[in-house]
Amino acid sequence: MDKQVFNIKNLDLYYGKFQALKNINLTIEKNKVTALIGPSGCGKSTFIRVLNRMNDLIEECRIVGDVHFHQDDIYHEKFDVIDLRTRVGMVFQKPNPFPMSIYDNVAYGPRCQGIKDKAELDEIVDKALKSAALYEEVNERMKESAMDLSGGQQQRLCIARAIAMNPEVILMDEPTSALDPIATLKIEELINDLKEQYTIVIVTHSMQQAARISDTTAFFLMGELIETDNTDKIFTQPKMKETEDYITGRFG
Amino acid sequence: MSNKRKAIDIAYQAITYLASSVSLLALSMIVYFVWSNGSGLLNMDLLTKDYHAKYYNGEMVEVGDYSTTLRPSDLDDDIYYSEQYGIGLSDAKDREGNPIILVEYIASDSPMLKLADRNSEDIIALEEGMLISKVAFFDKATALRTFGAEYMVNELDSATDFREIVFTSLGGGIRGSIITTLYLIGMTMAMALPIGVFTAIYLNEFAKKNRITSTLRTLIDTLTGVPSIIYGLMGLAVFVPLTISVTPATSGNLISGSLTLAVILLPVIIKSTEESLKVVPDGLRQASLALGANETQTTFKVVLPSSIPGILTASLLGIGRVIGESAALIFAIGTAVKDDISIFGKSTSLAVHIWSMMTDEPANIELSSTIAIIILMIVLVLNITVKLLSKKFMKPMQ
Repeated sequence: MDKQVFNIKNLDLYYGKFQALKNINLTIEKNKVTALIGPSGCGKSTFIRVLNRMNDLIEECRIVGDVHFHQDDIYHEKFDVIDLRTRVGMVFQKPNPFPMSIYDNVAYGPRCQGIKDKAELDEIVDKALKSAALYEEVNERMKESAMDLSGGQQQRLCIARAIAMNPEVILMDEPTSALDPIATLKIEELINDLKEQYTIVIVTHSMQQAARISDTTAFFLMGELIETDNTDKIFTQPKMKETEDYITGRFG
Repeated sequence: MSNKRKAIDIAYQAITYLASSVSLLALSMIVYFVWSNGSGLLNMDLLTKDYHAKYYNGEMVEVGDYSTTLRPSDLDDDIYYSEQYGIGLSDAKDREGNPIILVEYIASDSPMLKLADRNSEDIIALEEGMLISKVAFFDKATALRTFGAEYMVNELDSATDFREIVFTSLGGGIRGSIITTLYLIGMTMAMALPIGVFTAIYLNEFAKKNRITSTLRTLIDTLTGVPSIIYGLMGLAVFVPLTISVTPATSGNLISGSLTLAVILLPVIIKSTEESLKVVPDGLRQASLALGANETQTTFKVVLPSSIPGILTASLLGIGRVIGESAALIFAIGTAVKDDISIFGKSTSLAVHIWSMMTDEPANIELSSTIAIIILMIVLVLNITVKLLSKKFMKPMQ
């Protein structure tokens, strides 16, 4: 059984002349929650966007090194990015539902893959909304605009939208930073449920959040991966001094 | 010190008040001028009737087929009623002050409703609002309009038959120009909107940021500022010969006109569509791409629908431009006011109709002002529609 979903070796990333990531080596394991922590500008968001090649959108972004998704080198010129993104979903910092109905939001991804059958779409949408713990709240109002939902509901809708593609991995880039504590709690509970089925990589500003929900934590600083280990270990007995300084609140 | 400060503040405020009142005054004066001159002619007949008077030349189909309707009691006293023929006539004066005879009433069984056209096989009808020029008889003098309505009615009632009746429609309507304007709007938008929107999508979503793209953009910006008469010249030099060679047209025509208008509108539509594409949040594009949609799907399923309010505004602005354009059309179509509209023929839009009226001798300020009122009302309705629609579409975006 292939336990490693992502295997990153000697990854360097440049924005023009600026080196944003330096020699990153990291493996991401199946059905685990991996938290990426670190101060602002440390490269954790850049790193998570390496995994579904969202950095392709940035001109001048250049990548050196190996990023393997299972056996495939995702930066190989013949690699199919679209296929990668259907298997590696992403949830963004700011809830960004499309300005269409709740149903259409969730059905968007499958439709883009050519699924047209109404019954099949209905099933996918229902299942995704149930998995994202949103079904009860919206099941009566599927045709209403997603823009009328609250911020927390919108973010869960975005998670449902990602789940609808039935991905293996869900990347989350600070998914709760724009939400209030109650909505945050709901998302955290959701992440806990989702890791049964999905591999989750989450960028977070909150160390408490990382401690609460993740199995593995990776600490980034100035574009370098300082330390990665079991979450318990990182927060109780970090090996590196920088990690200790950060988690005890001496900087960041 | 504080007094001086206060005086300066008041002076600044006074300037803003003054400026706003001057602009308000100017605008109200336009509306007042147009309304006071043109409101008199404003009625449904004007909108639905032909501009050119049509001449009819008719005779009785069957002698002895007379009306049995008596003079209706509600007919005004100055209307002369012919019992035999069931028509009520009155004296009036036309715009130049010449006497005319106006048909005020026709009974439902009047033989005048079923006349044989002397120039063809057709059956023609006298209608209320038409003018009678003369009635000629077999055995007595012709009743001319200059003799008055009373004389004509008496002559009619004392004769069992007449040789011919010559009557004309009133004319002066702007139906043809309204239809032309609608044609121009439809054809121009059908060409300019898709091309403009797709160009904007290309420029904003797909084009690489390089010198060619930025040159193209500068070019489009420049085109927005070119006076429309120059486009008109281009229409005359390029589109008129082109349409003459590939269509049955023999002169400037509606196709060459709408091609010219489409060129005028293109930069406007491209600019405003691009502006609306620019404000679509990048988060939506990223979300779509992250779901495994490709660039084309992202553009057409997410970005384009989100920019619909902007595109809508662009098209309504475009329609306003089509309605208001005159200089370019004078060259690209011509100024002949027509009633039978063909896309291969000449005719005028409402704005050019005004131009034609004002270059007539004497200038017809009244009708011009009436058309101006109609144009102003259309523009007002368009503007309100833009506001309402953008509000409706913008709501889910926030």
